[in-house]
Amino acid sequence: MSAPVSPGLRSGSLPLLVALMTLLAGLALAGLSGVQTLAESWSGAARNATTIEIPADTPQLEDRTHSLVQTLNKTPDVTTVRELSAKEVQTLLAPWLGQVSDSAGLPGLSLPVVLIVAHTGTPDLGAIVHSVLPEAVVEEDRRWGERLNGLGNSLIACAWLAVSLIAAIAVLSVGMTVRRSVMAQRKAVEIVHFLGAGDLTISSRIAGRAALLSLAGGLVGLLLLSPVITMLAQRLTPFSHGTPPAASPTNTWDALFATWCGTLHVLPRMLLEELGALPLIAACLGWLTAQTVVLVWLRRLP
Amino acid sequence: MIRLLNVSMMPPGVGQPVLRNLTLSVPQGEFRWLLGPSGAGKSSLLRLLTLETRPSAGQMDMLGVSVSHASRATLRNLRRRIGFVPQDYRLIGEWTVFDNVALPLRLRGASERDTRREAFAVLEWLDVAHLADKRPGTLSGGEQQRTAIARALIGRPELLLADEPTNALEDAQARRLLMTFQELIEMGTTVIVATHNEALVREAPAASIVLQDGTIANTDAQNGTSTRRTEHS
Repeated sequence: MSAPVSPGLRSGSLPLLVALMTLLAGLALAGLSGVQTLAESWSGAARNATTIEIPADTPQLEDRTHSLVQTLNKTPDVTTVRELSAKEVQTLLAPWLGQVSDSAGLPGLSLPVVLIVAHTGTPDLGAIVHSVLPEAVVEEDRRWGERLNGLGNSLIACAWLAVSLIAAIAVLSVGMTVRRSVMAQRKAVEIVHFLGAGDLTISSRIAGRAALLSLAGGLVGLLLLSPVITMLAQRLTPFSHGTPPAASPTNTWDALFATWCGTLHVLPRMLLEELGALPLIAACLGWLTAQTVVLVWLRRLP
Repeated sequence: MIRLLNVSMMPPGVGQPVLRNLTLSVPQGEFRWLLGPSGAGKSSLLRLLTLETRPSAGQMDMLGVSVSHASRATLRNLRRRIGFVPQDYRLIGEWTVFDNVALPLRLRGASERDTRREAFAVLEWLDVAHLADKRPGTLSGGEQQRTAIARALIGRPELLLADEPTNALEDAQARRLLMTFQELIEMGTTVIVATHNEALVREAPAASIVLQDGTIANTDAQNGTSTRRTEHS
């Protein structure tokens, strides 16, 4: 233990407070991560696709459709042009028409030809399509994508606001705890100050202790968060594209740990990194807040 | 060297100054008694000299530094050159006697080995080395006072200020302390001791600063210092 040159911090409820804040911050980050993933998937799917619908009663439907596909294939920035099969069109229209085995099941109804054009950049497909097939209806999915993106960004902003509020409350709580501690040890702090201790000497000892206690609180908070995160990961497992690492069949702690790691595998790597960094962030915030509070308090002494 | 020129001190929230137009000069390596009845301003003057507060008016120079407008860093360095024995000891209750006494050396960045050697030397001299691991709260008044004296002496200060440093000491210990002050003066330390103990003053006659109602009551015209030389044998 280092030789004392300044009073330390009386911790009070600081670790518990930081543990709860870490738990809340972790939950907010998990929510933020979910919203981000959703928003990216919405905008990613819609941003680079255009749907072209050619009515079934268009004259010379097959030839003109073929001609349009060729034109589109030659257009710069267009990557693929895919014509939906009749079954896919039926599936697409099922919410409106109900399930039918084929178009023959609906007398008098002919299914349109639907083309899905994938592209990079923003080619003016409407003008190109209408120059070949004026009857075609062009649905720019990008517009939907932009709206979904806007919604996603709003949700992300809300989640960031929640994280920021939690951080602000944590800073306030640490600040009040440190201030109470300094007030409680006012005499000792003044003795050390008037013996010639520098402000940084006094504040660093208190801030170091605040950082250590915040780190401990952060680790406890992470421990409290782990069942929630595990449950979230289990819920996401069915939607995961990756295969989680196989767990050992033996019923040992190692196997349980491996299973747990496998479960967490479905969560975004970024989220896991952010959660892992929470105790360190708590420690940094604790250190900075304590330094600031003590240095400001010391300014009142000559 | 301490030099005060028309120094006044008015604590915040107090309507009138507790020290008014003090002018005095104490050359380096000299001894002064600080005398006066209760409420005369002795503690306020000591607060000024220990740099716990700045003068509200006037010019104050200490150990070659102008205090009135000095920066915080300058004051911090100056405080490390001053030893102070407060009347209420001002020991840190959570620390051991050793840590309390070692503090001035640690603040100067002395090695732990040197700190230990110096601290035990002064603790042994004051006969409290056996209490080094105790907390101040478990000590008697005299033991706490000797601990405070040890903390003031350990850094071999250029200026030593003491507020009633013998009020909890036995006569033999008090005489020994006076001898220590004499040794410090011979090494060039300026020593100012506030006391009500007239017997002690009679035992060690020396120049005095006598305060009355926040002003200096006597002036020694010979050296321009507001002091009174006590002439008891």
